[in-house]
Amino acid sequence: MTIPRKQFLYSISVVILFLILTARFFYLQIYKQAQYFRASEKNRIREVIVEPTRGLILDRNGEVMVDNHPSYSVYAIPFEVKEADSVLDLAGQILNMTSTEIKNIIRREKTSIFNPVKLKRQIDFETLSRIEEQRLDLPGIIYQIEPRRYYPSGVRAPHVFGYLGEIDKKELNQPEFKGFRLGDIIGKKGLEKFYERELRGLRGYQYVEVDVLGREIRKLKEKPEILPLPGKNLHLAIDAQLQRSLEARMDTLRGGAVVVDCTNGEVLALVSKPDYDLQIFTKPISAEIWKALVNDPAKPLYDRMVQSLYPPGSTYKLILVAAALERGIIKPDWKAFCPGYTWLGRKRYDCWNLVGHAELDLLSAIERSCNVYFYKLGLKVGLDNWAQFSRLFLFDKPTGIDLIDEKSGLVPDRDYLDHQFGKDRWSKGLILNLSIGQGDLLVTPLQMVRLAMIIANQGVYYPLHLLKYIEDPIDGTKQWASVDSFKITGISKETYEILKQGMYRVCHGEHGTGRAAAYRNIAIAGKTGTAENPHGEDHAWFIGYAPVNQPKIAFCILVENGGAGGKVAAPIAREIIKNYFYQTKEKRDKI
Amino acid sequence: MIRFSDAKISGADYGLIFVVLTLTLIGLIAIYSASYKVESPALKANFTRQILWFFISVIFMVIAIIVPPKAYQAAAYWFYFISIVLLILTLVLNRGSSVARWITFGPIRFQPAEFAKISVIIVLARFLSHEKRNLNKLKDIAISFGLVLLPFLLIAKQPDLGTALVFLAVILPVLFWAGLPGFFLFIIIAPFIVMISSFNYYSYFLAMISIAIALLCFKRGLFISIFIMVLNIIVGIVTPLLWNHLHDYQKHRILTFLGLEMDPRGLSYQVIQSKVAVGSGGFLGKGILKGTQTQLRFLPEQHTDFVFSVIGEELGFIGSLFVMILFLILLLRGIYIASKVRNKFSSVMVIGVIAILGFHIIVNIGMTVGMMPVTGLPLPFLSYGGSFLIVCMTLMGIIINASIRRFKY
Repeated sequence: MTIPRKQFLYSISVVILFLILTARFFYLQIYKQAQYFRASEKNRIREVIVEPTRGLILDRNGEVMVDNHPSYSVYAIPFEVKEADSVLDLAGQILNMTSTEIKNIIRREKTSIFNPVKLKRQIDFETLSRIEEQRLDLPGIIYQIEPRRYYPSGVRAPHVFGYLGEIDKKELNQPEFKGFRLGDIIGKKGLEKFYERELRGLRGYQYVEVDVLGREIRKLKEKPEILPLPGKNLHLAIDAQLQRSLEARMDTLRGGAVVVDCTNGEVLALVSKPDYDLQIFTKPISAEIWKALVNDPAKPLYDRMVQSLYPPGSTYKLILVAAALERGIIKPDWKAFCPGYTWLGRKRYDCWNLVGHAELDLLSAIERSCNVYFYKLGLKVGLDNWAQFSRLFLFDKPTGIDLIDEKSGLVPDRDYLDHQFGKDRWSKGLILNLSIGQGDLLVTPLQMVRLAMIIANQGVYYPLHLLKYIEDPIDGTKQWASVDSFKITGISKETYEILKQGMYRVCHGEHGTGRAAAYRNIAIAGKTGTAENPHGEDHAWFIGYAPVNQPKIAFCILVENGGAGGKVAAPIAREIIKNYFYQTKEKRDKI
Repeated sequence: MIRFSDAKISGADYGLIFVVLTLTLIGLIAIYSASYKVESPALKANFTRQILWFFISVIFMVIAIIVPPKAYQAAAYWFYFISIVLLILTLVLNRGSSVARWITFGPIRFQPAEFAKISVIIVLARFLSHEKRNLNKLKDIAISFGLVLLPFLLIAKQPDLGTALVFLAVILPVLFWAGLPGFFLFIIIAPFIVMISSFNYYSYFLAMISIAIALLCFKRGLFISIFIMVLNIIVGIVTPLLWNHLHDYQKHRILTFLGLEMDPRGLSYQVIQSKVAVGSGGFLGKGILKGTQTQLRFLPEQHTDFVFSVIGEELGFIGSLFVMILFLILLLRGIYIASKVRNKFSSVMVIGVIAILGFHIIVNIGMTVGMMPVTGLPLPFLSYGGSFLIVCMTLMGIIINASIRRFKY
């Protein structure tokens, strides 16, 4: 091959190689420029999440019941820490952890190498300042502010407020928590969970430029920070004063009490005992404390007013009365004789008063809560009517309160009993038990207070709600809880009149079982209940409303294994009356 | 104006010098940008130190221009011998350390492998330009290879596979230029194709068929054809076995390059960051000192191996293209000079220089855009490094030396 030909061959080879390189540059720098530019921006821009402050929870008079303390949590950014021993050792030393522990946390919880992994929540101030001092030696270790609750008002109400906790894997998959990361704090129970979206607010973002070591170089001017939007404040219908006094009154008891405004369904107080101190949930809760709470036989984590089912006892006689009158089965002057017991077939059914009540009419029977009268009435009314009126008074439906996990009652009917015992294999005696609120019948205390409200309002009722309004802390706009009224149809005014008279006599009649509830000159209406149950001593019930002429509040008190409703529960109703109508009169006048 | 009694500098030669100076200047800008925000004072001094190296290297270039070709020719074997001794010395002096690339004489630290590049070119030129050489003879071919393989092995042992490969890359263009018949070129290249194809049955089979057809076309003797065929078959069998004797990181580089292995924090991480730097530069670039990949140090080895990525990011496609055009002019002009030089020694020497520079340029730039493996080869005139800049300038001096005396035999 001649030299000129070789020259051509060599030159053309070089040109071809350069053309290939040029094509490659064209491809990267022009065709794919946008993609690589994004990648380079992603390299240098770190998005720092700025958590919003969580909304407060206030009582109806503006008293803050749930507030925030600033608290700091420490995170590691896996990409920047790179599990370098020097960093992990130092971080461990400061956080009082071993570097292996930290490594394990990072491995377990990391979702991406750029997402911070929470190492420790709620560090104290000393730890915070040590991290700040040694920041240069701790690349990839950062801290962030985080909401921490505290409860300045003395209102405990753990079941109402609920607590915060770290989001779990299951919750992360829910669409509501899109964009959340493991370790984020959300409401886990009560109002904190129910109004999570409103309380939480919107996250803000800061954009900082970082170098390859993850050191912050500067805040980005070209990408301004997005300020967080603080969470909205919940103004509750709860009356802190009433709530506190009820909590104190019931402190040693098991059970609970609920007071509602029967003109709009607002919940003024909601107590469940025993309870627990919400403060323990403001720190990362230890396994032992949690175990102790879960395994406590008194079940303090349970909201007895909302989540528990009980036999209602004699309070439920009111339903039977309504059924009998509406179906025209008896007139109020129908009389029955109580010798202290009655027979059905070979089985003897006792009255609570073994001496007997002699002959009674309807109102006297309600006043004295005579079982025998209602046994006999129950047989006349029959299971189907009873079950129908139970449903009419909504005992198969929850109250719609703004709390999670509300239970609904169990109303046994023909289908239910057939299913339980086999078709027609159940004894007729069951209707006797159901007539006095025993047997398979189960209700929640909230359903009972709704019954009191329905009677007080002659059929009108409102879904129960703790929330009065949600307030935006920035512009002060309010979003009121809806107060839609509903009405029970099919119950005549006359029937309500009888029920109301009966209930008045319970509290004010000569032989009334609920006389202990009366306070000074406030006319109240109520009904006691003493529910037998398989767990020992009877449950004490008292439901009612006041004042009789122009009902303002309805209430329901339950004391588990407390004994007779008139003795144990009614005095608590008195406490409510006293507190509501006298001690806070000035406040009341404003409303 | 430099005047020589026996030579004449043409305008084209000044053009070539201008190209080289421009490239060095761009390199200095890139190094300045790459060291701009670095806290480490040692790195920050890179820029000033490189300016110093530049002046020193210009002296070397001038010397390389002034020295008459006869002197190169005379000193060829001595140079070669000294280089080999230095390479052995490098290995001996650095015994025990994992990487042995440097020799330190008091304040001076240099890489003998760099100077070996020059001496190998000179010795090859001297050997091949001898009038008695016949590249149809196996013996002469073998000696040529031996001259290259010796430094190759010594450098590969350091280990510095990237630099070592430069020596292998030089031999074929030089031999062919010096008169190696195409048939021999084929015999030499065929085993490499077989090597690459031997990891897959189908490609191996295809390569074998291609070789068989090529052998038929060359119409050499039956015996020799069969012999070559068998040899290639054996190479294909042995290669996978030898593969297992490579260093892990060498295997790793090759595999990563072939896309058979991923390591986001390792070498492919470097290539990814380099591609991001280059790609994000776009058409006009982000501006000098404004490349985020460079300034925030996401780009690795940015003043040495990946200096071209700095240009890609901060000066964009336009800047990259400009630098590549300068390199292209340099290489094409070099090839042109080699073809015009009447003295065969000078001609072969120039082709050797072009082969070395071309290999560095193509592999380095290819590496920054993910087309070539990360071999650690710097970019001539642009990458930071004293030894290398001196070598490159000296090599340029050799080209210009040949150019200004091209009418002399």
